[in-house]
Amino acid sequence: MDAIEKQLHASPRNLRYIFTIAILILLLFIWSLTTVNLDNVSESGLGIAAGIIGGILNPDLDLLFSFTSQGVLYLLIETIAIAFLGTIMGSILAIPLAFLSASKIVPKPVASVTRLLLIIIRTIPALVYGLMFIRVTGPGPFAGVLTISLASIGMLAKLFVDVIEELDTNILESLDSIGCNTFEKIRYGIWPQLFSMFLSIIIYRFDMNLREASILGIVGAGGIGAPLIFAMNAYRWSEVGSILIGLVVLILLVEFFSNRIRNKLVRG
Amino acid sequence: MYDRIFPPAKITLPNGKIVYEKKSRAPIILVLLVLATIISVRFTNFDLNTLFKRGHEFFVIIGQMIPPKWDYLNNIWKPLLDTIKMSLLGSILGSIAAVPAAYFASSNIVSKPVAAVAKFFLSILRTLPTLVTALIATFIFGLGTLAGTVAIFLFTIAYVGKLLYEQIENANMGSFEAMESIGMGRLQAFRYAIFPQVLPNYLSTSLFSFEGNVRYAAILGYVGAGGIGLLLDESLGWRDYSSVGMILLMLIITVYLIEKVSEHFRKKLI
Amino acid sequence: MIEFIDVGKTYSNNMKALEDINLRIEKGEFVAVIGPSGAGKSTLLRCINRMHDISEGKLIVDGVEVNSLKGKEIRKFRQRIGMIFQSYNLVTRISVIKNVLVSFAPKLPYWRKVLGLYTKEHKVKALTALDQVGILDKAYVRVDQLSGGQQQRVALARTLAQNPDIILADEPIASLDPVTAKQVMDDFTKINRETNISVIINIHHVEIALEYADRIIGIRKGKIVYDGKAEDLTEENLNYIYKGQTEELQSNEMEGKTDV
Ligand SMILES: Nc1ncnc2c1ncn2[C@@H]1O[C@H](COP(=O)(O)OP(=O)(O)OP(=O)(O)O)[C@@H](O)[C@H]1O
Ligand SMILES: [Mg+2]
Repeated sequence: MDAIEKQLHASPRNLRYIFTIAILILLLFIWSLTTVNLDNVSESGLGIAAGIIGGILNPDLDLLFSFTSQGVLYLLIETIAIAFLGTIMGSILAIPLAFLSASKIVPKPVASVTRLLLIIIRTIPALVYGLMFIRVTGPGPFAGVLTISLASIGMLAKLFVDVIEELDTNILESLDSIGCNTFEKIRYGIWPQLFSMFLSIIIYRFDMNLREASILGIVGAGGIGAPLIFAMNAYRWSEVGSILIGLVVLILLVEFFSNRIRNKLVRG
Repeated sequence: MYDRIFPPAKITLPNGKIVYEKKSRAPIILVLLVLATIISVRFTNFDLNTLFKRGHEFFVIIGQMIPPKWDYLNNIWKPLLDTIKMSLLGSILGSIAAVPAAYFASSNIVSKPVAAVAKFFLSILRTLPTLVTALIATFIFGLGTLAGTVAIFLFTIAYVGKLLYEQIENANMGSFEAMESIGMGRLQAFRYAIFPQVLPNYLSTSLFSFEGNVRYAAILGYVGAGGIGLLLDESLGWRDYSSVGMILLMLIITVYLIEKVSEHFRKKLI
Repeated sequence: MIEFIDVGKTYSNNMKALEDINLRIEKGEFVAVIGPSGAGKSTLLRCINRMHDISEGKLIVDGVEVNSLKGKEIRKFRQRIGMIFQSYNLVTRISVIKNVLVSFAPKLPYWRKVLGLYTKEHKVKALTALDQVGILDKAYVRVDQLSGGQQQRVALARTLAQNPDIILADEPIASLDPVTAKQVMDDFTKINRETNISVIINIHHVEIALEYADRIIGIRKGKIVYDGKAEDLTEENLNYIYKGQTEELQSNEMEGKTDV
């Protein structure tokens, strides 16, 4: 069978494959439709939508720019602080775990167990950690910091491992030939390779953690989430509007700068 | 700017050549980081003492989750399936809706102002935390899975839409122009020249977003938007930790399986 | 001066990589080592700076018996010998000058080593080395933005900054295009002439070896089969180095045919 013939035979089979998958997705789609139930949709929905849009267009400017501890600015700084400290602590914890799950460095069984642990840590939603930490430290931003730290570990460690496994070890040979000892080899051969990549990953995670921290208030773990919920439940739409505007602007700003810094770190 | 405040050092080589060495930014960055840490510690009431004194409580809670309460499984199935359905529905509809959204956000296809406006809306949608969207959705669509589905739908549009328009803007425009020149409409030229180029990536992104959505969906119940989150909230509230353990176990297995399946198909696509 | 006396090297898997090596290389020589793949060229080079231990005989470098060195002494000894690799072996994420400065790292006091702070004197030396290989203007550029030829020059500068007595180069131009390869070889020649550093270079391009080196050493199956001036190397010598004896070759071919 020559190549052309092979192609000819391959093509219909490929079509059948795509067809099967398409049918499967369609079935899944229909199945998932069964979850939608329109009974709860109330008449007032439209009015509320209008209220929210009105609130966003007409935000409570005093709240947005006031520096008191109820003001949006203060709460945003608190949210940033939670994300910042959480990212730092999470990174510190993730580094040893990353090395422990690199099969290049530790024996296979150790690496596998650590990996499993990381998967578990990563899958449990941050909100659950938040509810658990509140039982430990009481409500407040401190619980938020601990939550963010723990919730970051899984992803950070996973991305760190990828960097560790891709380390260029040729450089060590050169350092050997220069007469470097083990410490010097790590400091000048390994560290510079890890540093910029790790930093770039950490900044990326900080970006995510900021979003994460902005909802932790919902369980009482500090940040801007709690006032948002209170304002909503009380139908104070202009307050909701000013909080949402502050949040969106902050997250977009942080995203913009973090992308720029990361580009610089990775591409030089 | 920095170089003006801290002028570069001048190094003269023995042969008379002069080299300017810019001052390292490391010290100032370090100082800023330390300052940020101190401020953050103040703002968050960070307290190592409490952590050391009460930190073990966390592990006590985890200890109570093990072993999980097996017979609680019967209560879990329905909300768990609801969670999957919500994310599936939201992901599929969101991915489909992302195509026109990305079309109007691609500056090489539509006019610049239109693309800018579309991009602006997409980035706002992407920025709003899913939980917040879900919360708003519960006000509009009532409590239940519909609100959750809407939240996931919106987030998926924003996420898939962004990656898709980036793909479209980087696509090879040659064939698009060729097709336009033989008299095809813009939309048709897009359909036949650009879409095939970005299709594999688009599908892969959609799958990836579905994976993530399952995780998000798991907590939406907390604000009343349906799925397993409600159960989680309840059990945690009752301090019924062995039930929590069971829910988390099922959640981990589900997410893991979905990730594996989706990974399999994503690898095939690229 | 480098002196091999009846040196043999057997790898731990019983692979005999070098056998009966007797060799004397004077200070300031430019030597090219040629031979087919797997002949033992890299092994020969790596024995000189004790990256590999020899198993038999004696190897004396500038009056030091290399195999008698231990731990810290080895590292001290290596600082006087520069080594260049085919794959440049640079840290690509940091600047050129930082890569060059690494050669001073072993000499730094501990606190400077940890912080990575070099003295002005070191910086001047590193920049001078970069000037010697003609890439002074790239000093503060990140290595991953340089071409292969430029990267190999950074590696050369790093070695020069070591202020070595000997430079060992293991196929330094194997991943470079012909024009860049010549430029790098010119750098080697220039350094050899100007500073009287001995250069020993493993190389696959015979024409380049003949063009640049004063002396050629041919290795085949772990043994030296040619050692002499570049001008004296004949076609016959080359055939022997790369293909074995002419008769042997023919008889091998005959055997091959009868097998089929
Ligand atoms: N670390 C090692 N352990 C075991 N055997 C080795 C080792 N390094 C090299 N060898 C073997 O020793 C022999 C000589 O290897 P060497 O690397 O010195 O050859 P070479 O002449 O440099 O070849 P090339 O031109 O391919 O680089 C080869 O047969 C090789 O397989
Ligand atoms: Mg070799």
